[in-house]
Amino acid sequence: MSILLNKRLARSLWRTKLRLLAVVMMVSVGIFAGITFSGYSHNLDGMYEALQADDDEGSNLADLWIDNRSNSWTQDEINNFCDNLESSWPVDLPGIDSCEGRKIMQGTMFHHEGGRTRIINSLWHGIPDDANADRIWMPKGHSEGRVASGDDEIVIDAHVVEALNISLGDIVEIGAGSDSAEFEVVGIGYHPLHVFMAPEGSLFPPEPGQYVVGYLSDSGMARLTNTSLGSGNTILLDVTGTPSFDFPDTKIYEGGEIDVVKDLVSSALESTELEGRVRDRGQNEPVEIMRQDLEGAKRTSIPFALMIAAIASITIVLSLQRLVQSQEKEIAALRTLGVSRRSLMTGYLIAPLAIGTVGCGLGAIIGPWGVNGMLDFYEGIVGLPIIEREIPFSLIARIIIPTMIVVFLSGTFPAWKASRLDPLSVLGGQNQIRVGSNTLRRLTSWMPTTLGLSIRSSVRKPVRLMMTFLAVGISLMLFGSVQMMSAGLENTIVGGIEERQSWDAQVYIGKDGEAKVIAWAEERGAPYEQLIELPLGSVEDHEGIERVFTVVGLESYDGGLRGVNIVQGDRPDLSDGTLEVMLDEGSMALLGWSLGESHSIMLNGAEQEVVIVGVTRGELARTMYFMRADLAGVMGINATSVYLQLPDGIEVDPTLAEISIGVVERKTLIDGMNSLIDQQTQIFTAMMYLGLIFTIAVMFNTMIMNVAERDFELATLRVLGGSTASLGIMLLFESLLIGFVGGIVGVAFAYGGAVGLAASFSSWQFYVTILIVPSVAYQLMAGVVVIAIGMTPIGIWRLRRMDLVDKVKNLTQ
Amino acid sequence: MPLLRMENITRHYETPAGVVRALDGVSFEIEEGERVVLLGPSGSGKTTLLNCLSALDSPSGGSYSFLGSEVPRNHSEKMTSFRRENIGYVFQFFNLLQDLTVLENILLIQELSGKKNASRAKELLELVGLELEVNRFPGEISGGQQQRVAIARSIAKRPKLLLGDELTGNLDTETSNKVMEALVKACRQENITSVFVTHDEGLTRFASRVIRIDSGKIVSDEKIPESIEQ
Repeated sequence: MSILLNKRLARSLWRTKLRLLAVVMMVSVGIFAGITFSGYSHNLDGMYEALQADDDEGSNLADLWIDNRSNSWTQDEINNFCDNLESSWPVDLPGIDSCEGRKIMQGTMFHHEGGRTRIINSLWHGIPDDANADRIWMPKGHSEGRVASGDDEIVIDAHVVEALNISLGDIVEIGAGSDSAEFEVVGIGYHPLHVFMAPEGSLFPPEPGQYVVGYLSDSGMARLTNTSLGSGNTILLDVTGTPSFDFPDTKIYEGGEIDVVKDLVSSALESTELEGRVRDRGQNEPVEIMRQDLEGAKRTSIPFALMIAAIASITIVLSLQRLVQSQEKEIAALRTLGVSRRSLMTGYLIAPLAIGTVGCGLGAIIGPWGVNGMLDFYEGIVGLPIIEREIPFSLIARIIIPTMIVVFLSGTFPAWKASRLDPLSVLGGQNQIRVGSNTLRRLTSWMPTTLGLSIRSSVRKPVRLMMTFLAVGISLMLFGSVQMMSAGLENTIVGGIEERQSWDAQVYIGKDGEAKVIAWAEERGAPYEQLIELPLGSVEDHEGIERVFTVVGLESYDGGLRGVNIVQGDRPDLSDGTLEVMLDEGSMALLGWSLGESHSIMLNGAEQEVVIVGVTRGELARTMYFMRADLAGVMGINATSVYLQLPDGIEVDPTLAEISIGVVERKTLIDGMNSLIDQQTQIFTAMMYLGLIFTIAVMFNTMIMNVAERDFELATLRVLGGSTASLGIMLLFESLLIGFVGGIVGVAFAYGGAVGLAASFSSWQFYVTILIVPSVAYQLMAGVVVIAIGMTPIGIWRLRRMDLVDKVKNLTQ
Repeated sequence: MPLLRMENITRHYETPAGVVRALDGVSFEIEEGERVVLLGPSGSGKTTLLNCLSALDSPSGGSYSFLGSEVPRNHSEKMTSFRRENIGYVFQFFNLLQDLTVLENILLIQELSGKKNASRAKELLELVGLELEVNRFPGEISGGQQQRVAIARSIAKRPKLLLGDELTGNLDTETSNKVMEALVKACRQENITSVFVTHDEGLTRFASRVIRIDSGKIVSDEKIPESIEQ
């Protein structure tokens, strides 16, 4: 290895400072993004661990939830069940840590503000003083007060206190069904089931203050619901350690350990004649959603860093190759003087390593800033504090090592090219001679010569052009895929609710509570529609895993208040035998079912045969649609809620709140959906803009290289009298061509990226359909074309400052 | 009126070693139709003089008029415009655009100067003896043929002055002669004045006038009574 040779190469690289800086910045941004995302997911992981931990500071998340939404169990029934379970518990299994009853009730908050009373959809937990599982999480410095112990005390979830301006000592009026009572706020804290602040069955957290969760004592709950102390509708089971449960987003089945527990629970339920739904952590949506969110963050961090590193690598390959090309004569002379291939190669291999080291170093220095920013951002949108923050060295190494490998590999091709240059061919000028393509000549001969030349020059280096398009494609994958996914989500989901549904309020009711709501509606001339909507359907997929879905029964799918986007087949009809149903396209894809097939499903624990007559689009959650009368017959329940279309001047009022167990307004739902999509988009906003910057950098690099490589041609034309304007038009044609093709490639990559992103997010819980929204595709294409055109002035500027005397010297000597 | 007149032209460069006087008070006139050969050793200032003649470079001092008008200096676009309207240039290494055919190389220059005329381009190729090569790419023809294309290209827009810097420096003697013959023929037919820089004394036989330059000054200026055409 010759130090002087490497010094020579370093100086040559230094002459292209701007490009060198751009490449170093790309590497550092890749590392920065990788550390930011990895650090974010690492700290989030730590936060969930702290939140769910079974210690004095944590909330001890339960392992199993057994619940019954239509009945309440007495304290004796709950104790019987727990005793039965304990007595049948095998000695070789980890012991039962706790088995305890809870009452969790849907309800409303009557929020008085500015002389007005707002009815807010709510959920109330009754938590005993000595609760072991699912306790309130009150981290020091991030919560206030204490847990509720008196029957007139309440802890309000910290997510809503700011929006509702609630503080310690305030008196709040809350209701559950027809009962309401006042409580004093004694604490502000968090709960492991309400990290994701959305009502059960919804994947969209409403805007802050539109949904309230509060934690009463068990005596407080008894007072609110006017029931006996200790009765409950949920049993929490906590086993020593954490038995493995199935992750619905993976292909393998991990739920072996919890299944043993579930079997014991089922037997105990049977023995004690209790009926209830049994869910583990993977089946408990609020818990699973946050786990998948965390897994998504973990999964995306390294691919994001590698994608950015790939863009940097392509730029390094192109830049080094250009450098080799411009140094051909020097290299040939050195080879003639006896410099070995290995000595020449070394420098070109060291160059990317040096670029990578500086880039990685810078990225590692600024990485913590990104991690903190991202965690602050998370705290802002999810509303949960991240108490301990750290970035372990292993995490940084995990990002830097693959990046350095990718960057190093990018130097190998130019290094190999440099070492293979034939001195005789270079010094004799033979390598400058090339024969144009006759096919291209025929294709472009009808065009003005300047345009023909632009096209031929653009495709002169097809490999470089392809690599440029690849880099533009990857950049746009970063930029466009998030945009495309968000637009697709908005289009299918929010658009569906905005355009196909015409209800204003959904009023949740207890068993047989629909008559009062219907009377309320009829008194006010409000059109209404009863519906059943319950998360009580389940089916075994082809791997034998039980998949839970929501069943919806509507009065009509033709002109009702809730329209459905049917993409295949037809709406169901009332049936006598096998029930006709429609299923969302996500379920169809994940289960591998086809239209017209009959399948056996479980409805509230009972087996039921259904035939798929239609496929729907627009649901994030898995949903099966029935005719309401069919579903009512099977479920033994007439309706779970009533849709209301409110005439002008009619609003949701306290009377309606008192006769219901919760009211959700459509506007609130849509706002919540838009807000969630915005939040998800915002998380990736930094990535999006990085993608845009990279697109600009890659295009800039290509255009500069094109112009630099054509110095010879352009100088010739300038000497022969070609004006800057006419040569500028040639460059513009070239830019337009590259921009147009780059735009098409970019849209294709963005679509591919969106599909990949959607696939990485899609699971049984979420299923995202990616549709190309034309406006987004046009925007992306226009963006690339504008960037390409925007590069033309740089080429013209370079033309203007071209030293023709110097160029002519090169051309003639 | 002469085609061009240079009076006391200087071109000085600031270098770390001090001021270099590449041209140091050069004065001469060139009449229309003359074929001038500029001869001189390396570093004598002949290329600098050619650059000033073509308005690629701006003199530091003195006066340079072309057809009675002062030639623009220190203004890139005006200098380009002057070249476009008046100057043809032939390079040592031909500098044809490899992606364009022989004919298209000529059409491009016509297009850039707003004088596109395919039949004239073909006539010029015929003039330099390349009528059979119109649709071939530069890489498919010999060096001498490429230089003849370059000559045809440089006169395609009917320049008043054709300049060349060592335009046969890359060719063997026989090919050089063929190229020069084609050049003289073309200049005569198109009534184009020409100035060529060369080391090769042998090329003086194609000139009507030989100017010798050394250390930035004209050391001799002689008319050749008998050149090849005569």
